[in-house]
Amino acid sequence: MAMQSGIMTRVYKPGSIIYFENDKSEYIYILKSGRVLLTYTKIDTGEEVKEEVRQGEFFGVKSALGKYPREETAQTIGETTVLVLGMADFESLILRNVNIVRKMLRVFSNQLRRIGRTVRTVLGESDNVNPDLELFRIGEHYYKAGDFAKSSYAFKKYMEYYPDTDNAKIAMERIRTVGAGGPAPSKNQSSDEFDFSMDSGNEEPLFEFSDDDSVLPELNGNGSSGGSPSMSSEFSSEMDDFLADDLDDFSGDIDDFSFGDDSPKTSVKTPEEELSAADRSLDSGNYDTALEIYTGINDRPGSVSDAIAARAEYGAGVCLFEMRKYKDAMGHFSKIMKDFQKSDKMKGTLYHIGMIFEAAGQKDKAIAYYNKVLNMTPKDGINSKALDKIKSLQRG
Amino acid sequence: MLELDEKFFERFGVEYSPNEIIFCEYEPGNEFYFIQKGKVRIVKIINDREKTIDVLEEGDVFGEMSILEEEPRSATAIAGSHVRVLKFHRDNFDALLQGNPQLAYKLLLIFSKRIYDAKRRLMILLLDEPSVKVMDVLIMLAEQNPHFDFEGEISLTTNAQQVASWSGMAEAQVQKELTQLARVDKIELFDDHIVVKNIRDFQRIVTSRRKNMYS
Repeated sequence: MAMQSGIMTRVYKPGSIIYFENDKSEYIYILKSGRVLLTYTKIDTGEEVKEEVRQGEFFGVKSALGKYPREETAQTIGETTVLVLGMADFESLILRNVNIVRKMLRVFSNQLRRIGRTVRTVLGESDNVNPDLELFRIGEHYYKAGDFAKSSYAFKKYMEYYPDTDNAKIAMERIRTVGAGGPAPSKNQSSDEFDFSMDSGNEEPLFEFSDDDSVLPELNGNGSSGGSPSMSSEFSSEMDDFLADDLDDFSGDIDDFSFGDDSPKTSVKTPEEELSAADRSLDSGNYDTALEIYTGINDRPGSVSDAIAARAEYGAGVCLFEMRKYKDAMGHFSKIMKDFQKSDKMKGTLYHIGMIFEAAGQKDKAIAYYNKVLNMTPKDGINSKALDKIKSLQRG
Repeated sequence: MLELDEKFFERFGVEYSPNEIIFCEYEPGNEFYFIQKGKVRIVKIINDREKTIDVLEEGDVFGEMSILEEEPRSATAIAGSHVRVLKFHRDNFDALLQGNPQLAYKLLLIFSKRIYDAKRRLMILLLDEPSVKVMDVLIMLAEQNPHFDFEGEISLTTNAQQVASWSGMAEAQVQKELTQLARVDKIELFDDHIVVKNIRDFQRIVTSRRKNMYS
């Protein structure tokens, strides 16, 4: 095969220096005949190391390609003939001999690994880590930070590679929670597609682990996979948790809460008018008054539209929230999620549930609900408030 | 840039949306990636905080440690924008090299540079004294620009945070050392750059300390 014209043959006398350590040069050499000794200093020990080049072998490759100073001195032993290649010669040579590249890459890759290990040792980073545990920790990190798309990625990988480990169950749970708590912003998911419905009267646990969870929730798609647990069950299970277990935190508030059940007042006002009056009271901070009207509206037997009923439930929930009667507030909000998923108050409802969890110190759940708000359209002030909440919880 | 035909992209091309994970630290790695378009952030979770250790761009390769054998990823790669990559499994590597010698050559260049950078960093990390470490980071940064004249003043676009990450030191400690160097008029500190008055002076100090380390 005809060599590039740029390649030169050079003959050295015994003991000649081909190049010195720290020289800068773009030449690459191939030992044709004779002997060449490379002398370099080991970085970590300062030890001087000598290495002989074999015939047919390249030397001076890395520093030429990487455009950095020579790391070794090359000296001949006996009369020696070398081929000298410029970068362009080298490139065209190896483009025709991919096997050479493969061998070099193998050598380079091993060197890089070795150096990487030394660096980690020097930095005090242990090499004896369990990748499975570390992967799980990364999922946890992003989960706690409210970065659910990333946490799901890590947990899904965890389930893919380490399904039999101790943390698999938690990872699975996290994936489901994220599936319910607002998956990664996806292109074609609108709030209308959320399904908050709950089988009424179903006293069985709505959310259950089983081992046939081979189908993971589709986290980036549009939720068409039949294997995904429905969000309603996840929501209701969280509600149940909250209502069942977390009440002690608010004990004082719960007991002393009462509102007059001497209504319904005989009123000539329309439900709409009552709502407006209640909204005004709420706005001016008269929670007791507002609450009374809101609840009154829904106590009117069968006479209001869903839209009105939802707004009344929501108003009552907000009043109770403001009065720090979280349990009762939660009751109203969960009714909206059960019965009025189409209501325009859904977003505010989710936001308030987030705040209730936040007040209860359940940061993860709070973030999950705020995150759900983030993805809901149309975007308005509540979306940005939710974002602020997430940010501040992540900082805390 | 590599000249790769459309068919090639159809077969190996993958796209990612901004902020999407490409691979995650500690996940087993079997593919390496070549960025065709966009930016990729390389991050690690350190002390429960996400730290960006590099930002890669068009033409860069990442995940290359998996070329030889499966090894857990040493960092997480996240799409920093809309990203288009070519993704190659180790099993396809030979075929890939045969069909695309330019890519093979490109990989050699990348490995050469990575090895040097890693060694250079190791040299800094192995120094004992904090002040000398800081000096050596400044030298290293100066070495990266072939246009610098080492006989004159050198202006480096860097800050304490970057120096800290290269030297494996805490940022506060780096700040302290930099302030000290500024006080004795060896350097001048600015918001976004550091001027080194006499880099040769630093080189002499670092070289002599390095020699003493082994004697």
